[in-house]
Amino acid sequence: MIVHLNFLPASGATDASNIVTALFGLLDQGRLDPELLPHLRVHLDWLQYKANFREPVSVRRGADASGEPLALAEIAIDVRQARPERLGEHLAAALAPADGVVLGDFTPLSQSLIWPCNRLFWQRVADWERDTGRGFEAALPSGRSDANHPDAVADGVADFWTLLVELDKRGQLPPEIFALEIGVGSGTRAGLWLDRFKALDEARSTSFYPRLRFLLGDYSLPTLDRAMSAVGAHQNVVSAIAMDALNPMRALSFLRYKILYIHLTNVYDNLPVDELVRRDGRLYLVEVRPYLPLPAAQALCAAHGLTPADLPATVARLLEVGPDLFGDRARGVAFWRQFWDGLRLEERLRLLEGIADAPLPPGLAPEHLEDLLAGAPADIRFHISRGAVESFVNTVPLLHPRGYLQVQDIFVTTMDEYRQGFRGPGKLDGSVVNWVNGALLRVVGARAGFDVHFAPFRYRPGSRTSILYTTLRE
Amino acid sequence: MAGLLLSTAVVGSYSMPGWLERAKNDYLRRRITAHDLDEMHDAAVKAAIKDQEVAGIDVVSDGELRRDNMIDYFALRLPGVEIDRGAKASYYDFYDSVVRARMPMAPLGLVEHFRFLRRFTERRTKVSITGPHSLVKRIRNEYYPGEEEFAVELARIMNLELRELVRAGAEEIQIDEPYYSGFPADLPWGVRAINTLVEGVDARFSLHVCYGNRYGKPSWEGSYRYLFPAVLGAKIHQLTLEFARRGGDDLRLFKEFDPPFTVGLGVVDVKAHDVEPAGVVAERIRQALEVLPAERITVNPDCGLLHLPRDVAFAKLSAMVEGTRLVRKELTG
Repeated sequence: MIVHLNFLPASGATDASNIVTALFGLLDQGRLDPELLPHLRVHLDWLQYKANFREPVSVRRGADASGEPLALAEIAIDVRQARPERLGEHLAAALAPADGVVLGDFTPLSQSLIWPCNRLFWQRVADWERDTGRGFEAALPSGRSDANHPDAVADGVADFWTLLVELDKRGQLPPEIFALEIGVGSGTRAGLWLDRFKALDEARSTSFYPRLRFLLGDYSLPTLDRAMSAVGAHQNVVSAIAMDALNPMRALSFLRYKILYIHLTNVYDNLPVDELVRRDGRLYLVEVRPYLPLPAAQALCAAHGLTPADLPATVARLLEVGPDLFGDRARGVAFWRQFWDGLRLEERLRLLEGIADAPLPPGLAPEHLEDLLAGAPADIRFHISRGAVESFVNTVPLLHPRGYLQVQDIFVTTMDEYRQGFRGPGKLDGSVVNWVNGALLRVVGARAGFDVHFAPFRYRPGSRTSILYTTLRE
Repeated sequence: MAGLLLSTAVVGSYSMPGWLERAKNDYLRRRITAHDLDEMHDAAVKAAIKDQEVAGIDVVSDGELRRDNMIDYFALRLPGVEIDRGAKASYYDFYDSVVRARMPMAPLGLVEHFRFLRRFTERRTKVSITGPHSLVKRIRNEYYPGEEEFAVELARIMNLELRELVRAGAEEIQIDEPYYSGFPADLPWGVRAINTLVEGVDARFSLHVCYGNRYGKPSWEGSYRYLFPAVLGAKIHQLTLEFARRGGDDLRLFKEFDPPFTVGLGVVDVKAHDVEPAGVVAERIRQALEVLPAERITVNPDCGLLHLPRDVAFAKLSAMVEGTRLVRKELTG
């Protein structure tokens, strides 16, 4: 058995000796298969997100390509949720056969139920907010989005304006100046940016503003409507375009190589991911199975007059028609919130025969993953941020040769950081959040002709946000 | 080329197979030997020649598949260029290369690769070389007083190699100068360097100027107007430009300035994976025919096909040939 202390607990929290004691207690009671021990790994993590998809203690098993169990087993302990005095109970529950309501089969994380749920949230965010009585940005750790920090916006505008001046000097400034914001949130940032750009342009008499074509891109029409209202004073230079952040080229192919500035905030952390695990030199894909623990399922059924057998179909209907599924929106939102609160993911580690079997997104080849892993810790669990990669490779072809991409998000910038703690997935209101594998994006960027850099967000002390920006790779 | 209306050619590079990319990187990391890599290069070049022939291209190249990129292939061969060979992790990166003393005159050894090409095709052939202006922009100069002096020196050295190529049978030579588009003010001395390069060399020269194809994307944007009238002083036979991706507006420059050379007309976009139908290619040729007679047009892709998957590159060449045939038929009845 190997104990991985991915987080050093403070005094009084669960520690390794408690775990060993509890495990041996279970062994003595015959509730733990002794054959598990030689390959057993225990991971202690501090789950940053209070709301997430795990029980305080959970077990994951290794499985071969056909799903047959392997010797590898892991016990994952969230030292934030697990109480030392209840550790034995948590462990026993985790090791016992599951008794919850299963909502689907094992799939890679990127194909799991949580992503349609995430999409539903952004499509029906107003209903959720009405029910909770607060805006979605209030769920962020700081209670508001770093995207809207006025100093950050002002610096961003100044950088862009400098680029325009340089291009203008060389006679290379296009007649139309295209800028794109993908994932517009409340529209506050776009409004601030446009105010600042207009003011700077007028103060310096550069006449760039009338040539500006500012595009708001989002897949949610209600979100776009809200954002358009927030940029009301700039309607003459702003257009709203429905697009999928995973493939902006699909909607904007007519702007290939024309956009000088593309910005995203907190979009990549909300796009589908997979997770890979390397143990003893072998690579595993994390597969998940959505379920509701029995107490959560019973409470949901009691509140809505359902039986556990009704739940899979009812959840499927929620994802199909939204919170109007009962013909009573308030009841539908209540069901949605309660279901989301209870939703958990059971995990298993499916062995990959080789690196070429890893489910890699376009833009990332097995040899690049191999290079990335060559410099990574031997035992590691990390994200394949496939949505972020897909979005990146389908966004950069829009950039003008002198244009740049800027992404404000939570990034893991080296593979080593994955050894130091849990990086998602978590829940933020009704949405999914994951840290984004910046090391992976650096590799993908190089292949696409861009150097990818990360700068800490210096405008709010304690912020975990970084700013990714691209420069042309010569 | 005489007698063939609207002949078709490649600009130079052909699709780089993924396995060859990996092999090049493995060679950099000393996982395979130079001999093994040479054998792979030979196999890849033969396949590239065959693809061009099957697609129906009239003037073929070796696909430039032996080259890491358009700079290093020459920087490694130019006498007096110092290179830190441990300085790159990926074959496609540029070496850090520098000239610190007067460059001696010495052969570059391009002839051997040309002879290989000649052995495996009966078609007309084209050899592409990177021009002195583009080399000057990537090789650091710590000896010559200025960029022009450095470029002219490079041109003098390369002129000897071109003479060797002609002695070995080369008839078509293309000079690639994409960096003109990034540094248009350099054009007057860039043209002087070209003229030094081609001085006394008995070959048909085309000058290829695009807006860059590094990583399969443009490095600059703008109009070819900057080329004129300075480029009219270049001792070349053809100017090969990209029109498919950028549209044909700049064709009017050929009407306005009536240059003494033909145009290599870019009719397929090498930065998009969508394959243009033959009808679209034909339409692009017809658009050019409104400005220039067919005798002054050859047909080619916008630039090299290096960054396209092989099936896409082959399909684009096939469509280009088919579209050209359609127009030839219209012209000859």
